Amino acid sequence: MMTPQTVFQAAGALYGLALLGALLPGKRPLLVATFLVPALVCNLLVVGLRYHQAWPMLPMHLGPVALPLCLGLLYPFTAGGECEQDQQRMVRRTLLGLMVFLVLAGLCFPKDFYLPFLKSKTLLAHGFLWFGVIGKACFVFSAIWALAALAANRQAYAKHRLTVALQQSLRWAVWGFALWTVSMFNGELWSYLGWGTPVVWEDPALTLTMAAWFFYACYLHLHLTRSWNPPARALYASLGGLTILALTCVPDLGPFRSPF
Amino acid sequence: MTRLLSIFWHKLGSINLTVALCLLLTADLVWGYFCLNRRTALFTPLNDMGLIAWMQTYGINNLLFTGWFFLLLTLLTLLSVNTFACTTSRVVQLLRAKGPGGGRRLALKLAPHIMHYGLIVILAGYLCSYLFTEVLTSSTLAPGTHLSLPGAGGQVSLLAFEPEYYQGQRLAFWKDEVISPKARLLLSDGASQREEMLSCNRPVRFQGYSFHLIDFAPKSLGGMKMKTRIDLNIRKDPGVGLYLAGMALFSLGLFFYVYDWIVYREAHK
Repeated sequence: MMTPQTVFQAAGALYGLALLGALLPGKRPLLVATFLVPALVCNLLVVGLRYHQAWPMLPMHLGPVALPLCLGLLYPFTAGGECEQDQQRMVRRTLLGLMVFLVLAGLCFPKDFYLPFLKSKTLLAHGFLWFGVIGKACFVFSAIWALAALAANRQAYAKHRLTVALQQSLRWAVWGFALWTVSMFNGELWSYLGWGTPVVWEDPALTLTMAAWFFYACYLHLHLTRSWNPPARALYASLGGLTILALTCVPDLGPFRSPF
Repeated sequence: MTRLLSIFWHKLGSINLTVALCLLLTADLVWGYFCLNRRTALFTPLNDMGLIAWMQTYGINNLLFTGWFFLLLTLLTLLSVNTFACTTSRVVQLLRAKGPGGGRRLALKLAPHIMHYGLIVILAGYLCSYLFTEVLTSSTLAPGTHLSLPGAGGQVSLLAFEPEYYQGQRLAFWKDEVISPKARLLLSDGASQREEMLSCNRPVRFQGYSFHLIDFAPKSLGGMKMKTRIDLNIRKDPGVGLYLAGMALFSLGLFFYVYDWIVYREAHK
């Protein structure tokens, strides 16, 4: 029987194969696409199934399922620009590795046992979720490009490569910040309409949402004012970014359950 | 003296201070997550009892778990002052300098500053909300009963509870449960009266108060026979207009900023 769990397992296996394809030496975009496209179809199906079981309310804790999907859909945007081929390859490999990791985390620590609640029957709740997930995906891209910038710092033509990669990181951070802000505003409006207050203190996850907002507000200020040197900014955006993003995923993860 | 003030103003608006405050806020909010996760019940009354009363009771007596919140208030206050000083200095500089491109270009250059002012207005709205909101909690209405609003002379009665039950097959767990609770209220102020429909996420406003549906009964068609009632959260929040205006201002600045990013910076690379 097709359940969200089994389809998500299939998506995870296909993401894993896409990663293996990307790790092979040489350019193999067709091989990666051969596995990545069906993986995305499976992932989309899982999201669809979860929505089918909850609509018009919000499926609870959809983040670990929706984030790999958004990352996969944004995957083609790693190409082009002024970046060197090997930098792009590194970004793609890291991205695919992270997607596999996220799917594994979602399978091993699912939190899909909560029933949807009535107050989530509003477009603001769905906007809160999706703007947040797409924003988080943009932040992940920003962190990965910053990692590429850090790696570039140790190579030949370091300055140019670092600048280009940091510019990519900034671009993704701007989009992520805009979408994250829109998500927060959706959440605040929903909170006001449903509970009469802009912040509902029953939900601890809101503090991590705000933490990520301040973290990236700081990152944008660092970039725009050039107050730290480029390697320090790259370190901040990569390791700091991945840490804060990992923390924002924690509230969506439940107790351990065997994925098989 | 003027020189001293000028130095103080520039220190206050320092970008290094902004960076330090943002980093401290990030760390403090992460700490806050773990405290809130372990002691959620300590923070729940903050929604209803107001900031001062909460600080004097729950806050001060559980500093191990609420300390982060006091630090948050301090940091946000400092950030507001820093943002105001920094943004105002930059805006004055921008308005004095006559760059190319006319009013449209100036509006786009002002975009980040509009966002900064928006943030200050939002924070001021929150503070106003948590300091001055009047809350009538757990106000329950049954059909035919009424509530009197303090000081305003208004009355609210429940005319009827008209829920919609889920009759589909897709949501098995929701079968015959209320999917859309709707309460018909009669609002009267002595001179006139009107009817309003209250539902989840659809509050009713009357005489400066907003009415939010918190709970209701019965919840299902065939379930336990419970008397019809609705539980309301009634609030008079002077900060709501302010933080909604701040959000609108921030969104406008954000729109200009992203537009500027796409049209000018990306296109002219």
